[in-house]
Amino acid sequence: MLGLKQVIKKIFGGKQKSSNTEKSPDDAINSRFKTKYWNFKNLLSINNTILESMSKIELALQGSQKFGMEFIRENCTSISVNIYKLIKKINDISDSHYETLYHSFANIQYGINQILEEKEKSFDGKPVLSIEEINTDSANYTGSKMANLGEIMNLTGINVPHGFVITVPAYHLFLKYSDLQKNINQQLQSVDIEDIKMLKMASSNIQKLIMQSPVPPELEATIFDGYKRLQEKTEKDVKVSMRSSALGEDSQESSFAGQYHTELNVRFKTLIDSYKKIIAGKYSIQAITYRFNKGLRDEDIVMCVGCMTMVEAVSSGVMYSKDPDGIHNDRVIINAVPGLGKAAVEGSVSPDLFEVSREQTFRLLKKEIHVKDQKTLFFSNKELRIIELSEQDKYGPAITDEQAYSLEKQAVILENHFNTPQDIEWAIEKDGMIRILQSRPLKQLKKEANEFIHTSLSIKVNNQTILSGGVAASPGVACGPAFVVNTAEEIYKFPAGAVLVAKNSLPYLATILNRAAAVVTDLGGIAGHLATVSREFNIPALFGTFVATQRIENKAIITVDTYSRKVYEGKAEALLKEFSAKRINSIKGSPVYITLEKVLKHIAPLNLTDPKGNNFTPEGCRTYHDITRFCHEMAVKEMFDSGTNNRQIKAGKRLVVDVPTQWWIIDLGDGLKGSMEKDTVGLENITSVPMLALWEGMMAVKWDGPPSIDIGGFMSIMVQSTMNRDLCASSRSIYTQNNCAIISKNFCNFSCRCGYHYSVAQTFVSDKSRENYIKFCFKGGAADHNRKFLRMKLIEEILVKYDFQVEIYEDYINATITGYDQFSTIKRLKMLGYLTMHTRQLDMIMGNSTRTAYYKKKLLKDISLWF
Amino acid sequence: MKAKILIVDDEEKFANSLAERLSIRDYDAATSVNGQDAIEKVSYCNFDVVMLDLVMPGMDGLKVLREIKKIKPLTEVIMLTALPNVEIGVEAMKRGAMDYILKPCEIEELISMIDRGYARKNEQKERIRATEVSGR
Repeated sequence: MLGLKQVIKKIFGGKQKSSNTEKSPDDAINSRFKTKYWNFKNLLSINNTILESMSKIELALQGSQKFGMEFIRENCTSISVNIYKLIKKINDISDSHYETLYHSFANIQYGINQILEEKEKSFDGKPVLSIEEINTDSANYTGSKMANLGEIMNLTGINVPHGFVITVPAYHLFLKYSDLQKNINQQLQSVDIEDIKMLKMASSNIQKLIMQSPVPPELEATIFDGYKRLQEKTEKDVKVSMRSSALGEDSQESSFAGQYHTELNVRFKTLIDSYKKIIAGKYSIQAITYRFNKGLRDEDIVMCVGCMTMVEAVSSGVMYSKDPDGIHNDRVIINAVPGLGKAAVEGSVSPDLFEVSREQTFRLLKKEIHVKDQKTLFFSNKELRIIELSEQDKYGPAITDEQAYSLEKQAVILENHFNTPQDIEWAIEKDGMIRILQSRPLKQLKKEANEFIHTSLSIKVNNQTILSGGVAASPGVACGPAFVVNTAEEIYKFPAGAVLVAKNSLPYLATILNRAAAVVTDLGGIAGHLATVSREFNIPALFGTFVATQRIENKAIITVDTYSRKVYEGKAEALLKEFSAKRINSIKGSPVYITLEKVLKHIAPLNLTDPKGNNFTPEGCRTYHDITRFCHEMAVKEMFDSGTNNRQIKAGKRLVVDVPTQWWIIDLGDGLKGSMEKDTVGLENITSVPMLALWEGMMAVKWDGPPSIDIGGFMSIMVQSTMNRDLCASSRSIYTQNNCAIISKNFCNFSCRCGYHYSVAQTFVSDKSRENYIKFCFKGGAADHNRKFLRMKLIEEILVKYDFQVEIYEDYINATITGYDQFSTIKRLKMLGYLTMHTRQLDMIMGNSTRTAYYKKKLLKDISLWF
Repeated sequence: MKAKILIVDDEEKFANSLAERLSIRDYDAATSVNGQDAIEKVSYCNFDVVMLDLVMPGMDGLKVLREIKKIKPLTEVIMLTALPNVEIGVEAMKRGAMDYILKPCEIEELISMIDRGYARKNEQKERIRATEVSGR
């Protein structure tokens, strides 16, 4: 393929002497012109790179795709670097005429840096605090989990294990000691979050890195000191559990439920190693995925670690002070298992369920006892033991009715204290003492669920029922092919949009939750971690069905309805019609999303829209887009304005035509013929085949003028105009700005800018089909996203119809076609000329479907002229 | 003729595998694992393009870049980085880097960048020659 570069080489290259009709006797000028031309060509290509990157991040802001800080950093850096290159180029072209642009650039760059740079770390405060020393006000030092525990320790009637917390300053000290954060960011930067294998590798690398890094000696001493004080309060060689208490964890919006690591039965000797293990847990696969899906910034999450004395639990579990469905607010819901509660929160068993009325007098509203045929974890005599339960315990309840009642009372106390429904982990010791291990806000779903149950039950479903029963861990209806996960390895193969079917509702499944249509499990209750995360991501989940993995066939299409607690064969159209799945896009409004919004304010808005305006100066550039626009305009001016000042080299000629437009022509050699004026040419002088084809296309059909605008379109432009003040003024005229064509007999680079629309066509056409190509870029603005999108779709449709390969980013279109014969290529150039002229302001009427259809028909009809 | 390339990266494995992949494609690729060594190599050997890691122990990439540009202004330098940073990226451009690329990178992308660098170097050379000729 013969590109512009080769064309230039051919014409200016040393051996083949140029056949330029305007041969300059002065070689120095000629050489200066060459340099200038090269710079100009470079500038145009940088300009296009920037516009493309900008469109990419604007597209991200639509929120349909997820992205992390890595994406933002990468694109901001790329755009900044290219803007710098652009400024350098315009100064090269103009003999450093626009150096003040560097100042505007520095200001904008500073603004972006301020947003992207990491916040100052706080090393102030004690690295270790005893639980008695903290309350909810300490959350910024200890994480909310431990702060809440400190708070409730003082409530009458509530017991909390003794312990201490390793705080935020400790975390920063540890990371700084080996400059860990930088290494971690590097590992994360290169990860494609959708690629679970890659993610696994990065996760394991980071965790290894953390485990190998030493804890600074003074921090180690402080932790040991905390442990010694705990010994004094309890007993010698006390065993502790270590759990994460992260900052940013445990709010209603992001529960982080079960995404982190917990260490049980920790001795003095393994304190430090266990501490590091909890910190490393921040980078488990599911924790990284969870943050990504939630749009949380890695550096905002700080791991504090709670160390609490081990509880010799005979039974334990989770309770909700109200129903998470938001329907039955009259009761406390309790999940209980024998032994340590790990199994209840991990969802590896189906726990006993108690629903206790919140009224003063004790009333049990529901009681479901499950067979406990699995081995159970106990802590007694300072050791962890896994034992088989006696026959009696296997079939008996994990707690007594009286205990359920006591738990209910504590749940109400906690809810009243924190003024919001609570999600509580608890344990009961041998002597019957209840210990609260954690209390955090419960995310309740909207009340509508109740109506949905009625609706669901009233719909007649013709599909065969595969199973019925279980608990609705997260409400909804969804359909997809079943994917049965038996081993952890199988999650790597999980296809997007499938229904996840598994035996246990284990927390590691959260890694793929966001790609699942729904989840169905054999075991697990509504209080498990996976249930909490399912509710957060609005993914229908039916747990504790006991038979899912037996009855559901891998790859079979199934429909899950949690309202009627049923799984159907095939696609249950009747249900799906009623409950069209609405996924929450959880990244909008998230910290990462907000960061992008903030940086975009320094990048995307275009303030310099009128080249004749007072602000069209280097100082007037307030965003990267302004700089791009300014440089482009000035580059064209430098290249083609003649005679106005002696810096200029006469390079271009103005095209004299009977339409009121400004066209500059630069001839690379054999693009012009016949006699002509010094500064102007007529159409009859042009010999460039592709230029003539484009021109013919542009002029073939009279332009209707801007379409009359519908009310919605007008409003949309009004809204957009608040950012782009002179849009309305310029929207009625299409002939306002400089357009230019760089031509030779077979080559043409044709760029035109008009109001908000900018298009470039570059093409080579000769009788050698193999070398022929057209590259067409178009960026259009004004109107809102939806209208822009519809216009892009329309243009894409037309281009694809005529065999172009098309890429779209937001409002940037990139189309290419290569290797077509001369005749076919010319036809397509005519079509592009026509499109450039006629699609300019169509987005204004794109809100109206009948008008859209009308214009589409008209465009296609006009184009068919050439085909 | 294809470009002569120097890859500077403290991750020896990365540098070697990159050099190997470039050699397969007929490029003349050498490696260096620290800044000091790279500067020496650049001073006695005419490289067309240097791929330079930004973060290295000892002399960091920006310092090395400055030295290379002092000794061989025409040698094109492409910065390699695993951590994109607006400030550092722009600083590298100010010091005369041609471009930067994120690690790990697609070999195709890298090669097109190297070719561009090589072409640019030759253009510059050509231009200087032309100016000298016409100035005479």
